[in-house]
Amino acid sequence: MAEKPKVIEKPDVLERPDILKPQAPAPLVAFPIEVVVPEGRQQTPAVGQRASRADGRLHGLGQTKYIDDMYFPNMLFAKIKRAGIASARIKNIDTKEAEAMPGVVAVITGRDIPCNSFGPSLKDQPVLADTRVFHAGDGVAAVAAVSEQIATEALEKIKVDYEVLTPVLDPLESLKLETPGVHAPSANIYGHKVIKKGDVEKAFAESDHVFEGTFRTQMVEHVPLEPYACIAQWDANGRVTIYSTLGRITLGRADVARTLGIPMSRIRIVATVVGGNFGGKNEIRAEPAMALLSKKTGRPVKCVFTRSEEFTSSTTRHPLIMDYKTGVTKQGKILGRKIRLVLDGGAYCSWSETTLGKACILSAGPYNIENLYAEAFVVYTNKTMTGAMRGFGAPQVCFAYESHMDDIAKALGIDPLEIRLLNAFDEGSLSPTSQKLHSVVVKESLLRAAKRFGWNGIGDGVGNGNGA
Amino acid sequence: MKRRGRGMACMWYPIGFTVAANPSAAVVKVNEDGTATLLTGTVETGQGSLTILAQITAQELGIATDDVHVVSADTDATPMDTGAIASRTTYVTGNAARMAAEKAKLTLFEVAAPLLGVKPTQLEAQDHKIFVKGFPQRNMHIGDVANHARVVSGQPPIGSASFNPETLALDPETGQGKPFGTYVYATQIAEVDVDDETGEVEVIRVVASHDCGTAINPMLVEGQVEGGVAMGVGFALEEEMLFDAQGRHINPNLTNYIMPTSLDTPDIEVDIVDSYDPTGPFGAKGVGEPTLVPTAAAIANAIYDAVGVRITSLPATAEKVCKALQAKREQQPKQIGTGAALDGAASINTAVQ
Repeated sequence: MAEKPKVIEKPDVLERPDILKPQAPAPLVAFPIEVVVPEGRQQTPAVGQRASRADGRLHGLGQTKYIDDMYFPNMLFAKIKRAGIASARIKNIDTKEAEAMPGVVAVITGRDIPCNSFGPSLKDQPVLADTRVFHAGDGVAAVAAVSEQIATEALEKIKVDYEVLTPVLDPLESLKLETPGVHAPSANIYGHKVIKKGDVEKAFAESDHVFEGTFRTQMVEHVPLEPYACIAQWDANGRVTIYSTLGRITLGRADVARTLGIPMSRIRIVATVVGGNFGGKNEIRAEPAMALLSKKTGRPVKCVFTRSEEFTSSTTRHPLIMDYKTGVTKQGKILGRKIRLVLDGGAYCSWSETTLGKACILSAGPYNIENLYAEAFVVYTNKTMTGAMRGFGAPQVCFAYESHMDDIAKALGIDPLEIRLLNAFDEGSLSPTSQKLHSVVVKESLLRAAKRFGWNGIGDGVGNGNGA
Repeated sequence: MKRRGRGMACMWYPIGFTVAANPSAAVVKVNEDGTATLLTGTVETGQGSLTILAQITAQELGIATDDVHVVSADTDATPMDTGAIASRTTYVTGNAARMAAEKAKLTLFEVAAPLLGVKPTQLEAQDHKIFVKGFPQRNMHIGDVANHARVVSGQPPIGSASFNPETLALDPETGQGKPFGTYVYATQIAEVDVDDETGEVEVIRVVASHDCGTAINPMLVEGQVEGGVAMGVGFALEEEMLFDAQGRHINPNLTNYIMPTSLDTPDIEVDIVDSYDPTGPFGAKGVGEPTLVPTAAAIANAIYDAVGVRITSLPATAEKVCKALQAKREQQPKQIGTGAALDGAASINTAVQ
C-alpha cells in the first residue's frame, strides 16, 4: 500500500516572529525556588545515575557567589605591583608617595611578611619579592585602597630601584653546569629522577632497528574563567578568615600559618565555588599579603588578579624537551627505550617534583618495555613559574611517545593500531617501576575507539600521509 | 587544498600522586529523616566532584543523591583533604566518603537489628530502607531508624574515616617501587583537515574511549572528556606563552594568547570503557586529567597522516605546519630513489615516503 504523502502545514508567517513582539521583562527569581529535581538525583541506587549537579541550578540562575561577587562592609581593594623584569636585585622600594595618596590605606612589601617563603616541596617562592626578582611576574609591593582604581593608580607611585641582572631563559642552557645559578648558590637542576629497568644498551644491540626523535612542548596557562581571587578578614581576636579560590585548603592553611607565623587554629580558609582550577590554584598566592593588609588596616581586603596577572604571576604548564630512542624488532615489538626529559621549571619549584615524577614514570607509555632508562631533570629559568596543570607532565610525554610510536609504525609499515596492540600493557603487566598493574584496559580502549571511529587500517585513501 | 588525516594516541595515567602521602578524610552524619550530610575538605572546582561524592555516600547508605547535602572546603568545619588535584577526588576522597558512610550505616544497623529481630550483620541498606538480607519485606525506613537512633537509643549515626592510597616509595637509584594506587587508560582518535597551502589545521572529530573504573556519573564523565579534549586542541594547535629576549611574557591576554572557542571544538564522541577497580569506591577510579593527555598526540599523528609532515614541537600552528610543508617540498626531489632509511633514525620523519 502506497504511503500517504505527509501534509506539511504551512506555518503562519504573520504569527511567527515572536521576537518582534514587545517582551515582558523577565520575572524576578521568586524565593523559595520551586525545585523541579531531575530524575537521576532522586533515584536509587545512586551510583551510575546521570544525576544533575546540585550547583548547576545556581550557576544557571547566576546565583553562584564567586569571590568577585562577595562584599563585606568597609572592604578595601588590593593590587600588587609586578616587577616586569625577569631577573634583578632589589636595591630599594619607596612606597611613601603611594601611601600619601588619598584613598590609599596601606602598602606592604616583602619585608613585612614574617616568613617570606613558601612552596609545596621546596620553599623557594616569596609572597612578595624582597631582595631578588626571579621572574617578571614577581610581586614587589601590595596596596590596599578604597577602590580598585585608586589601588591601581598607587602602583605607579611606588618606586623600585633595581639592579638588572642577565636572565637565564633557555632550559638547556640552565642545565649546563657553567650557567650562573638562577637561585645561586643553589644549583639550577632542582629535581632529578631516574627509572631504570633491564639493560637498555644490550636491548638496542639486539634490536633490528633503533629509532630516535626529539620532541618539544610549549608553556601554556590554565586560563580558568575565574582568575585567582581572595578576601582576607583579620578580626580583633587575631584570627583571620580567608575566602579563596584555592583548590587545596589543608595545604593552604599550613602555608598561611608558616608565612604569617601564627598557629593554624587562628586561620580559617574557606574555598569558594571555584570557576575553574585545572591545577593552577593548588597553592597560596596573595593570601598572606592580603591577611597582613587586613591586619594593618582593620578592614577586609579583596584581591582579584587581572587576566594578565593570571598569566604572568600564577603557575603554568612545564615546557618539556624530550629525547627518545627506541629499539624494536622487525615486527614492531619494543625491546628497549631510552628517554631524557628536561623540564623548564620556571622561577620556582611549585609542583615541579610531582610533575617530574609523573612525567618520568609515564614517559615510556602504556607499553611492556623490559629494558628502560628514563631520566628527567627540572631546571630553574627566570620565567613564570611552572607547576601543577591537568596531566602533570603526561600530555607532554604522551605527545612524544605517541608521535614516536607512529614514526616507528610508519617506518616498519605496520598499522598504528597494530603496533600499539602488540606492545600495550595487559592485566598484571609490570609498569616501568615494576608495579603490578590491575584493571588494565588499554587494549580495550584502543579497540573500542578504533571501532567507534571506523579505523580500518592505514593507506585506505583517507589522507594516508603521502601529501601527494 | 584541504587534506584529511586520522591519528590515534593511547595513554595511561595514575590516580593520586607520588612524593608524599595524599590522604583524604570525610565525615558523614545521617539526619533524623534519613537524609545525610557529608563533610569534606575537598573543593568543587567546576568538575562536579561534590555530586560524585554525594552519589558515593548515597549509594553506601541506600539513599538518593538528592538526599545528601555536601559541606565542603572550610578549614573550620571540614576534615583535612589533600585537595582537588591529581584526579584523586573520586578515588581517594570517594573512598573516605564511602568508608565514613559505612560507619554511620553500621550504627543504623545496630539500632535497627533488635527492632527487626536479627543481628546487625544480617542487615542491608537500599532504596531508603534498612532490611533483612534475603527478606526485603522485613524492613524499616532509614528515617525511622535514624530518628530512633537519636531519640530512643541515643546513638546519633555519625561516621568518620580517612583513606590514603597504598604506595611504596621509589628506590632513589632505579626508581623501582609502587608510586600510585591505581591507573586509568584511554585512547583518542582524531580526524583533521589540513590546508596544504596555509598549514591551517581543523580538528573535525575526536573519538575518546576512556577508562575511569565504574562511572559513578556517566554524564559528568562525558563532561570531563569533552572539556579535556577542548583543552587538548588548544595545547595541540594554538596556545603558547611567548617571552621576549628579556624574559617578559609578551602575550598575557586573550587577544594574543589564542585559545579554542566552541567553534574550534570538534565533534567529540565519548566512549566509557567498562572496567572495575576493586580498590576504588564501587569500582571507580577517576577521569579528570587523563581526558586531555592523548589529544595533542592524536592530532599530531593525524596531521602526519594528512600531509606527511611530522610536527615535533607544539603547538602545531598554521605557520609551523606551513613551514614544515615548504621544507618537505624543497627536500622531496632529493628523496627520490633513496628508499626507507631505517637506521638514519633521526631523519625518519622526512626520509620515509
